[in-house]
Amino acid sequence: MKNEDTGCHAPGDVTCQRLILDYLLAFEEGTMPADERDAFRRHIEMCPPCVEFLSTYEATGRTLKLLKPRDIPPDLAKAVVSFVRSRRRDKE
Amino acid sequence: MEAAEQPTPTDLELVQAIKAGDERAFEQMVDRYHARVYSLSFGVLRNAEDAEEATQDTFLQLYRKIGTFDESRKFFSWFYRVALNSAYSRARKRPSAPTVAIEDYLPRFNSDGHLASVDLRDWSIGVEDEAAARELASRAEEFIAELSPAYRDVIWMYDVEEIPADQIAEILEISIPAFKSRLHRARLYVRQRLGEIAGSARREKAAG
Repeated sequence: MKNEDTGCHAPGDVTCQRLILDYLLAFEEGTMPADERDAFRRHIEMCPPCVEFLSTYEATGRTLKLLKPRDIPPDLAKAVVSFVRSRRRDKE
Repeated sequence: MEAAEQPTPTDLELVQAIKAGDERAFEQMVDRYHARVYSLSFGVLRNAEDAEEATQDTFLQLYRKIGTFDESRKFFSWFYRVALNSAYSRARKRPSAPTVAIEDYLPRFNSDGHLASVDLRDWSIGVEDEAAARELASRAEEFIAELSPAYRDVIWMYDVEEIPADQIAEILEISIPAFKSRLHRARLYVRQRLGEIAGSARREKAAG
């Protein structure tokens, strides 16, 4: 039965809420049992809002991957070793 | 004849050498972990100078506490915990930044469990453009900084630092389900905020 408000046509137990809050992470990780994966896929095939939700969720993950690598200050390792040595000397 | 190449020591071998007073082993440990400690510290402190100082603090703590490290545990998890504590110790010296109530940004559903009619237009196509994607990434970093530490640490370590889930759970001393729940909610928050700015950029473009 079509949900007029959202455009979701998916029948059955898997609602948009269950898909997004309970299943999405496991689906992305590939750790979902086969029967649940099939139910998930059936829902998506009939639910344009969930398709859009999923593609923007995946785009979020791709966007976060761009944050790496962060520039490391040059000579940081040397500065760390000098700092630790100087604090040890202070203590001695 | 060339000398045989020395095998790379394991973390545990370096720990044992440092405990025995080997200065070179300490330098090797710094070489191995300083970049990761810096990046983790930056995730907490959002400032290069503070992250650099927190990195120094972390290795000083390593030097002082290595004698108490239980060698039956994984060094990596123990040391990251030391690094996080050093970063938080430095963060407490600064005025605390406000954090968001993540619940206000989670998706809304109708009583029948379907998505509520909100702006669900797909903005992911814009991420195919490299310049636009980098701009979004820069904003995503700001949104991560708005999260409370429980969410911020998880999403930063997993999605940016790419530390495996089981190690993050061990470092933060939380269960795997708790880790997954936090990660998912943090991603939902960042997704929602990215959608807002992508929507507003689209409206500006349409207005001309």
